[in-house]
Amino acid sequence: MKSFLKILVPLAFTLAVAANAKEIKLLNVSYDPTRELYQDYNAAFARYWKAKTGDDVVVAQSHGGSGKQAQSVINGLEADVVTLALAYDIDAISQQAKLLPADWQKRLPDNSTPYTSTIVFLVRKGNPKGIKDWDDLVKPNVVVVTPNPKTSGGARWNYLAAWAYALDQYGHDDARARDFIKRLYKNVPVLDSGARGSTTTFVERGIGDVLLAWENEAHLAIKQFGVDKFDIVTPPLSILAEPPVAVVDTVAKKHGTSDVARAYLEYLYSDEGQDIAGRNFYRPRSGKAAAKYAGQFSPVKLVTVDETFGGWQKAQKTHFADGGVFDQIFQP
Amino acid sequence: MKLNQLILATFAGMQLAFPAWAADDPATNSIGAAQAEIPAYTASGGATQSVEAAEIEALKKEVQELGQKVQTLKQQRDLDQQTNTDTAKEQIQNLDQKVRILERQRELDQESATAVAKAQPRIAVGANGFSFGSADSNFVVALHGVVQVDSRTFQQNDKVPGNDSILLRRARPIVSGTVFRDFDFLFVPEFGNGTPGGASSATTPSIYDAYVNYRYSPEFQIQAGKFKAPVGLEQLQADVNTSFNERSLVTDLVPNRDLGFELHGDIAGGVLSYAAGIFNGVGDARNSSNIGFQDDREFDGRLFIQPFKQTSLKPLQNLGFGVGGSWGDSSITNTLGLPNTTGGSLPGYFTDGQQQFFAYTNGVVASRTHWRLSPQASYYYGPFGLIGEYVISDQDVRRGSQSADLQNTAWEISGGWVLTGEDATFNGVTPKHSFDPRNGQWGALQVVGRYADLDIDNAAFPIFASPASASEARSWAVGLNWYLNRNIRVNASYSHTSFSGGASGSPSAAPGSVSNHPEDVFFTRVQIAF
Repeated sequence: MKSFLKILVPLAFTLAVAANAKEIKLLNVSYDPTRELYQDYNAAFARYWKAKTGDDVVVAQSHGGSGKQAQSVINGLEADVVTLALAYDIDAISQQAKLLPADWQKRLPDNSTPYTSTIVFLVRKGNPKGIKDWDDLVKPNVVVVTPNPKTSGGARWNYLAAWAYALDQYGHDDARARDFIKRLYKNVPVLDSGARGSTTTFVERGIGDVLLAWENEAHLAIKQFGVDKFDIVTPPLSILAEPPVAVVDTVAKKHGTSDVARAYLEYLYSDEGQDIAGRNFYRPRSGKAAAKYAGQFSPVKLVTVDETFGGWQKAQKTHFADGGVFDQIFQP
Repeated sequence: MKLNQLILATFAGMQLAFPAWAADDPATNSIGAAQAEIPAYTASGGATQSVEAAEIEALKKEVQELGQKVQTLKQQRDLDQQTNTDTAKEQIQNLDQKVRILERQRELDQESATAVAKAQPRIAVGANGFSFGSADSNFVVALHGVVQVDSRTFQQNDKVPGNDSILLRRARPIVSGTVFRDFDFLFVPEFGNGTPGGASSATTPSIYDAYVNYRYSPEFQIQAGKFKAPVGLEQLQADVNTSFNERSLVTDLVPNRDLGFELHGDIAGGVLSYAAGIFNGVGDARNSSNIGFQDDREFDGRLFIQPFKQTSLKPLQNLGFGVGGSWGDSSITNTLGLPNTTGGSLPGYFTDGQQQFFAYTNGVVASRTHWRLSPQASYYYGPFGLIGEYVISDQDVRRGSQSADLQNTAWEISGGWVLTGEDATFNGVTPKHSFDPRNGQWGALQVVGRYADLDIDNAAFPIFASPASASEARSWAVGLNWYLNRNIRVNASYSHTSFSGGASGSPSAAPGSVSNHPEDVFFTRVQIAF
């Protein structure tokens, strides 16, 4: 009888859970180069959530230039969570559409950035143009590929990293930094709208000598297309890119997905989440995962947007807003 | 023998053999000199040997130098060739990059143009009217219109004079649209004449529909404003899609437009449709004004089921049945709760020809409860269509100190067959081929028939209604509908209505007078709707 109960009770419990199990759908609106990261992560989270609650979670992904993605959410794309390239884009969603509170970045550890990255150079195999540092990018015979900072978060990181180098190189002379950036963009023949588009331009279309790329995107290109095709050059100085994540409260509440959306982002900080980030060439926040994947990242001096540019709001207004520095220096 | 001695001996032998060649060829001077000295060599032996050797060495050196020059020239030529190749390669690479860049830019321009095109406002002009809206369809405004030009020819004109008419039955510019994706609106003013919701002589433009509908999902929508109350099936059919010029007697007993709020939706893809609302409440066949001061409200609702709609059973997919109803309990007594005054000056009911055959006596008012119940059904399969409806309108009335609960009933069944084979639907007929006589296309042709009956509660007589009014009207009608295209329709129909009860004597004009003689009317209509 006891044996029978031992089987019956768990079986009944399992059946009851199964009967109550439901399928939950989330939409993660993200930026261009996170496709592979979230493909891995979504599967892991679905397993975790199923084990924890018995519910199935299906996470749909949407990718594009970070600025464009933010605008889509503002215009009504019903994202339960956003995982964008920079905090400014989520700020825009908060300010313009009021879909999440202004202090969203305080809700998760590390300013809601569970992983970081930086900007590196992807060059043709053997580095035929001998590109080692940012000043090599302004040489007349070098063709540079980078996306449009008006639409791409990654492009804004590229631009600010170059500007930070110039400030460092020229004694924080803004005029010289501006001239440096002007010369750099003179070497950019094509502006894609997103980082993935620029990777296509450089890798698949064979255009240019160097691609300014997210570190993870550069590693991914080598992984995908072979070590015999490209080299990664990590400049001595670059920028600390912090892509943040947030629940879009109003949408999640409407969909009844607030709890699972929050858990989805929190799980990014778990051991498994951090490991997946490292595996996809993002720099994990946790010491354990960071140590595990330290070998795949070259040492680099990293500056921050807050320290060098006074934060994203100021950087955006100065450089990327309509009529800003970028509009002034770049003539297509 | 040393090598140089051998060479000299050879040269000497050659000179002896070819003296003329040696003398005549200036290019061989040095050799000739050497030959001239051969006798000395041969004569003096080793004395001249060193001189000759030096000369030979000089010659050898000269040959070597010439060889080096040739080698240098050759190397220079190879180098030039290599340089030219490298330059050409570089030029090709540069050109290749330029081509690739141009191709990519064109690719991006195309993507950009596609994105811009997607973001452009959309303008559409077609059989469904004119519409323009935002690229994402979240904001849309559509312009539609209905014009119906009718004629009514009464066959017993000598008995009811002055009723034949050519009239603008409906003239409605219609504005509909969507704002912020989920909010729809409709605005329908009426500029036509002879409207069943008002006096037949009405010429003042009036608002027929004006509402906002929030569409959370197809299953859950809420509507506020002035619109058709959800009770009668025939009444809910669009004016441009009814089988005949005028709706049947059964629609005399249901409300027309009313002011209120309604929750409605289609569940399971239209298998179940529901509507439930709270309204000001109007009398039978009445069209609400734009304002109504009354403390009490009327509740209207309707359920309609099409159980096979989503199945593969085609013959049954468009079989539907349901029930509509209303209930109101008014503490205020007035005539607005009574039927409309169409065809006369008192509240009453009217025929297909829009003549009043029954009227309440002057001084009768609606009092307390008024409820309606309307079982209804429709069936469409291929070119065949059928709708049927039964209505009870239970009305408390009062005249002075006397009151009564009158239960008037009506029913109708109407059917049609599209002779040209198109599908008949609740929303009209779409011709397979639009009217185009030059190419032998004539549109769609449909025959329709109808029978209807309206029975007045006998308790209405004689206190609440004059015996001059008929107590029952029975009507049959046949017609031919010609759909020239999706927008133009031409109708012709004949209707015969006979009565029970009513006054005897010569009829003059409605009300009541028509009840003594059957009504025979020939209708025509030319309609444009888009």
